[in-house]
Amino acid sequence: MSTPLLELRNLGGGYPPISVFRNISLSIGNRESVGFFGPNGHGKTTLLKTVAGLLDPWEGDILFAGTRLNAEGRMRARTSRNLNYDLFRRRRIRAETVVRAGLIYVMQGNLLFPEMTVEEVLDIAPRAAEGRQGVAEMRLLVDDLFPRLCERRDSKIRYLSGGERQMVSIAVGLLALPRMLILDEPTLGLSPKLRIELSQAVRRIRESNVPLVIVDQNVEFLTSLVDRLFLFDHGSITREIDAGSMPSHDEIMTMMFGETL
Amino acid sequence: MISLDTFFFILASGILLGGLYALMATGLAVVWTTLGVFNFAHGTFVALGAYVAWQVTQSIGGGAGFLLAAALSVIVMFGIGFVLHYVLVKPFERNTNLVLLAVITTLAAASIIENGILIGWGPRDKQITPPIEGSVGFFGASINLYDIVILLVALLTLLALALFLRRTSLGRAMRAAAQNREAAELMGLNVSMLFAITIGLSAATAALAGVFTGSLRFISPTFGADPLMKALVVVILGGVARFTSPIYAAFIVGIAESFSAYFLGLYWAPAVLFAMMIAVLLIKPEGLFGHRSKTL
Ligand SMILES: Nc1ncnc2c1ncn2[C@@H]1O[C@H](COP(=O)(O)OP(=O)(O)O)[C@@H](O)[C@H]1O
Ligand SMILES: [Mg+2]
Repeated sequence: MSTPLLELRNLGGGYPPISVFRNISLSIGNRESVGFFGPNGHGKTTLLKTVAGLLDPWEGDILFAGTRLNAEGRMRARTSRNLNYDLFRRRRIRAETVVRAGLIYVMQGNLLFPEMTVEEVLDIAPRAAEGRQGVAEMRLLVDDLFPRLCERRDSKIRYLSGGERQMVSIAVGLLALPRMLILDEPTLGLSPKLRIELSQAVRRIRESNVPLVIVDQNVEFLTSLVDRLFLFDHGSITREIDAGSMPSHDEIMTMMFGETL
Repeated sequence: MISLDTFFFILASGILLGGLYALMATGLAVVWTTLGVFNFAHGTFVALGAYVAWQVTQSIGGGAGFLLAAALSVIVMFGIGFVLHYVLVKPFERNTNLVLLAVITTLAAASIIENGILIGWGPRDKQITPPIEGSVGFFGASINLYDIVILLVALLTLLALALFLRRTSLGRAMRAAAQNREAAELMGLNVSMLFAITIGLSAATAALAGVFTGSLRFISPTFGADPLMKALVVVILGGVARFTSPIYAAFIVGIAESFSAYFLGLYWAPAVLFAMMIAVLLIKPEGLFGHRSKTL
């Protein structure tokens, strides 16, 4: 097998001092899309925020296309009560490094920039793809995926509905020309109509050959979209299911919570 | 009562003060809305800007010398502001007590800069020679031509800053970093550098205010205290809901100061301003102009 695109090695992290996830090891191939499914509040978002560089990992490594994105070091822990500086190097990761590598995270419920207009936001989004070809084509795809954003281009983000805001978030991610796109609950809290609209957009992104890592609460949607599904429970991956043997919603519920449900 | 030309003379000097205060307060407000940090060293930026300009005018005189001095002072202060972000704010940015720590670090910087000026330039008062002479009539009152130039340059600078923040890609990135740091990082923006540029621009406008103020009054090492206090009053009075909020408030403060200085005396003017500030804090704590939210 060639080098995987994204590889996590024994990754652990959380919000100090609370550890949220631990021992996450997985590798995702070059043209592969994977899904995460699991109950709310069990650490999927925390894991993805760590991979995206917003939180420092406590242990383990994040590799993208063969390069390690995080710096070597230890987890932050105050060794002295009197010194404000840590006397050792922290295990750090910077979102900028992750984005420049082409790994783009579309955050769950991202509020974006309330006082900026849609057009202003879409105008600065391609800064992440600096020096790479294809922004113009991607802009065409974005306009085609979300015609509603063209209508609302001069509205401030604060006046957008949740669904429209989600569209801007995804559009911003796409304009960074992702080599891999992480979507964290893209249809969360939307009306059924918008949910369908966004699901279709996600499907089209998948068809345009952008590898996805996607978290969603709808198993049918996930299983129809991805090559592999990870069941995520209590901060670790409890099971890995291949495309060939995708189970139904009820079967997954049984796997995760046992028969007694 | 006062005669009409006295009235207009007071009004005109109030408007001039307003222009200077707008320049000082906007820089403070931009840093506050972007970094969430109150920069107590802002006043010393004004002072240091004036000293740098004075130093240049000592070797090159005349109008050209003044222009060069102003330009150099603005550029030097931009650089100092840029670097100071990495010294005063960045090391503490993941600390939950950032706001408090920044109060301490910026106060420390203010003290160091002030004493640095004292060591470098001595305690003697200095003054930058105004480059323009002559006056014009304004409803019977006679106004210095230079004052009008100052007002225009101040307003044009603020307009340029506003256009930079709204229209250019870099300015938009700065606003994005101000409004949602995490989302900005996820767009691959170098938020630390954008913050450093913000403080740099704030220091540059402070320097310009310093050059102008230093050509109207005497410069001394404690020269920054008054601008800091006035900028503080302006920012609290006007709020920071919009870019223009502190600018309107600056003119209110300038005009109020010049009238109360005339009618109540120089020593009562600060008391009047603080009374206004307290009244606003009691009645409309988010400031006179705009809503509670802070924006850029
Ligand atoms: N900013 C935060 N600070 C501290 N704890 C948090 C924060 N955000 C989430 N948590 C906690 O981390 C755990 C995992 O949350 P999250 O990663 O959002 O789960 P999921 O995405 O699987 O629903 C939850 O118990 C939550 O309360
Ligand atoms: Mg989540």
